[in-house]
Formats: sequence, structure tokens, C-alpha cells
Amino acid sequence: MTRWQSIIDKALVIAAVLALWQWGSMTAGAYWVPAPWPVVLALWDMMRTGEIFRHAGYTLQASLWGFLLGGIPGMALPFVLRRLPRLEAILDPFLVGGYGLPKLALAPLFILWFGIGIESKIALVTSVVFFLVYFNTAAGVRAIDPRLLLMSRVIGAGELRIATQVIWPSAVPFIFAGFRVSTPYAIGGAVIAELISSNRGLGYLVQLGAMNFKTSQVFAAILAITLIVIGANAVVNGIERRLLRWRPSSKTAGTTASGGM
Amino acid sequence: MSEVSLLEVAGLGKRFPSRDGRSDARWVIQNLSFSVRDGEFVTVIGPSGSGKSTLLNMIAQTDAPSAGTISFKGAPVSNGDGAGLRPGLDCQIGYVFQDDTLLPWRTTIDNVLFPLEAQGRLDAHGRERAAALMDAVGLTGFERYYPHELSGGMRKRAALIRTLVYDPPIILMDEPFGALDAQTRVQLQEDLLRLWEAGRKTIIFITHDIAEAIALGDRALVLSRAPTHIIGEHHIDIPRPRNLRDIYAAPQFASLYEAIRAQVQ
Ligand SMILES: Nc1ncnc2c1ncn2[C@@H]1O[C@H](COP(=O)(O)OP(=O)(O)O)[C@@H](O)[C@H]1O
Ligand SMILES: [Mg+2]
Repeated sequence: MTRWQSIIDKALVIAAVLALWQWGSMTAGAYWVPAPWPVVLALWDMMRTGEIFRHAGYTLQASLWGFLLGGIPGMALPFVLRRLPRLEAILDPFLVGGYGLPKLALAPLFILWFGIGIESKIALVTSVVFFLVYFNTAAGVRAIDPRLLLMSRVIGAGELRIATQVIWPSAVPFIFAGFRVSTPYAIGGAVIAELISSNRGLGYLVQLGAMNFKTSQVFAAILAITLIVIGANAVVNGIERRLLRWRPSSKTAGTTASGGM
Repeated sequence: MSEVSLLEVAGLGKRFPSRDGRSDARWVIQNLSFSVRDGEFVTVIGPSGSGKSTLLNMIAQTDAPSAGTISFKGAPVSNGDGAGLRPGLDCQIGYVFQDDTLLPWRTTIDNVLFPLEAQGRLDAHGRERAAALMDAVGLTGFERYYPHELSGGMRKRAALIRTLVYDPPIILMDEPFGALDAQTRVQLQEDLLRLWEAGRKTIIFITHDIAEAIALGDRALVLSRAPTHIIGEHHIDIPRPRNLRDIYAAPQFASLYEAIRAQVQ
């Protein structure tokens, strides 16, 4: 398939979705489902006033901090536990439990603990991202070819070098599978926390629009969220591609842990 | 060549727990003894599954013996349990594994330099040495290629010189040329002998090919089926440098081949 063919195919799908949306709006009534064009106009309006950027910035900030606070420890922990099998055995049931826990149920608790400011949003995102990244990274660390480890020890590599130059590169596809799954959840988590209680952010914008029966504002905010998720995904994929330039083809590792909200 | 044995294996045994865990552990190697002199090229022939890789793993200290001792320069290096294993014995034992163990995310040259980097010895001299070895095995021009972009023979060459580059006194090689076509194989054997004659490392070379064992070695050891021990030892008095492409024509070849074949079951 050529590049152009793929672009044309995507354009066709977008056109079909827009047509379906327009049709839905006409059937359900523009009050319930605003048509694409008014939504785009509403978004444009909010862009002109800068309103959408303020809210998007807030949401992005909460997502990014949560992503880092959850992602970095989630990525580092498997490397530490690899050297401490007893601690891993102790922690494992708790990590599995934490992964299985519906994090949304924690949102009210986080608001109680951290207030309605950005901290409670960051906490929710952190709790979602941490487990997703942890379990994917752990799978990657386990998947290391044991012969590469033996070879590295024989040639005199120390444990730190083995972790950074042998296990890490081999686990990168898994770690990024975790990042890729986490990205929409990080943004979605922040949005949902804002829905529950906030006076800023895209989630707040959705909530406000719904309260004022301004469905086109609701849709515009959702559209903005979707665009941000797509953009964030592209960034993650771009970084992964750079790190995986050595790979024969652009195959991606299977996702081993997903969901978790 | 001195007569001091560099490496001595005495009464070596290895057993693995049986699959079901109920029946007794199975001895793969039992009462296996031999010694290797400094600078000697020893080939080891044995049927598939006779524990050849297991033997090298124990010598390289990536696996612990269940019985017996291994001594290096007269000092025992294994203590029977797996706790004190020192893989590679502080870089004194190089190991060219049976399968490809190049790091797929490193280019050829970075793979070859990996041991020097890991040992903190990567300097201009090391780079020169790596370049010379790359040249000696015909890998010049492929420095920036990733392993998946190389042919099987090139990967074997890269793995070989990755071990040669840091100059360990003993090199273990586990059927390194097993999966290659005949032409590539002879070329690699020639490369190996040339490098060996230049540096006179001590080499223990595993093969299941009798002709290869004769062509390369000063001495060939024949292994029995499991539980494995040594059932034959043959001094190969074909003078060096040898012509590997015509090794069959050497007057000693036929009788050595027959003698070894009779022992390899
Ligand atoms: N880690 C292991 N656990 C259990 N059995 C093993 C293990 N490694 C090797 N073996 C067994 O030991 C025997 C010898 O294996 P190996 O040393 O690989 O033979 P060779 O290299 O001569 O073909 C085989 O029967 C194999 O199943
Ligand atoms: Mg083997």
C-alpha cells in the first residue's frame, strides 16, 4: 500500500464518520447531537478567546505530571525487583491488586485527600499509569533472552551495565506498549477527575457545557480531548521509533496489560 | 608450548532434575576428566544431546557442576554449588555460544567493542584491534550494520571476534560453524586457524563433525552418549599450517577419521 493510498483511505473513513455524525444530528435533533460544523465553530470560538488552551493546558499538565510520577517508578521498579526476588514475591499480590482496582473509584478519595486542585487529578493519573507501565515493563524484563545475560556476564559486564545496555533495550518495546496504553488513560483520567470536581480543565468544560445545555461546547471539548490524545500518541510513537531504529520492521510488541480504570 | 596444564577437569559430573520431579535426577555428564595445555587447540566431538554445551557452560562458569572439580592454572574454580559462580572467570575464559548472542540493537562494531566497553578498556588501541579483527574476517564495511542485516556467517564471525577482541587466555567455542554452508564454513575455519596461529590462545572447540575436529585440533576428544565421559583421545599430527580445503588428502586423515568414527556412536 502506498503512502498516498493510505491517506486517501483515511480521508474516506473521516468523510464517512462525518456523514454519519451529520445524519445522527439530523435524526436526533441538533439540540442533543450538534452537527459537525457548529462543533468546529464552537471549538474555533474557544480557540480565538484562548479559553480552550487554558483548559487544555491544565488538563495536559495534570496528565503529564501523572504520567511521569506513575510512569517513571512503574518503569524502574521491575529493574529493582529483578535483583530482589524475595521483595518481588512479597509485593506481587499487592501490585496485582492495585492493577485490578478500579482507579475511578479512588477519585473521590483523592479529592478528599488532595483537594479539588490539580494534585487530586495528578494522583488519579499516577495511580492509573503506574500499574499499566509496571506490568508491561515487568513483562519486558522477564522476556529478556537469558543467553544474552549469560554472554554479558561472561564478557565481564556488571549488573548496572546489564540493566541499562542489555535488559533496557530489549524491554523497550514492552515499556512503550505500556506507555501507549497509558497515554489515553492519563489524559482520560485527568478529564474524569475534572468532571467530578474542578473549576478548570477540559473535563470541567464538558461538565459546564452539559450543565448549561450547550451540547456543541461539550462536543467541542471532547473533540479537543480526542485531538490531544492523538497528538500525545504520536509523540510516544515517535520516541519509540527513534529508540527502535535498529529493528528490522516496525512491528510492535503485544500489549500485555491494558485497561485498568 | 609448555607442558603445564592450563585447565584441568577432574571427575566432572552434572545432573539435571527430572521433568516430573519424582524420579531420580538424570546424570548428563559423569566422571569426565581431561586437561588442556596452554596454547593447545582441543576439539571435542560428541553426539547431539551428549552434554557438550553443558560441559562448556560448566567450564565457563555459567552453570555449576554437580560433582568433580575444574581447575584453572592449578587453582580450583568451582565449589559445587551455584552460589560462587564467576561467569567467564574474570574475563579469562571467552565463550562463543552455540547460538547467536549478538545484541540486536547494536551495530556490528558496537557488538565487537561491547566487551572492551564493559571491561572499561575501550581506548584507541582497542578500537584499532577491533578494526584489525573486523578486517581479518572480512567484516570491514559492515561496521554500521545491525545483526539482522548480516548473513549467518557474518554474524558468526562477529561473535567470534567479539571474544577475540579482549584476548582471554582460553576460548570455548560451541559448534560455532555448525549451521553454515560448506563454503562459508571452510572460510571461517581458515580465519579461525589464522587468528589462532597468530595469537596462540587455548581453544576448546566443540563440534559434531569428525572432519572438522581433525582439521582444526591438536588433539580430539571423543565423548560417549549420556551419562557422558571421554571415550577416546586422538593426537592429530597433521603439520601446520594446514590446508583445510584439502585436509582429506593429508596422509594421517583417513586413519584418524576411521578411529574417531568407530568411537562416535
Ligand atoms: N537446564 C537444563 N535442564 C534440564 N536438562 C538440561 C538442561 N540443559 C541441558 N539439559 C539436558 O542435558 C542434555 C545435554 O544437553 P546439551 O549439553 O545441550 O547437549 P549437546 O550440546 O551435546 O547437544 C540434554 O539431554 C538436555 O536435555
Ligand atoms: Mg549443544
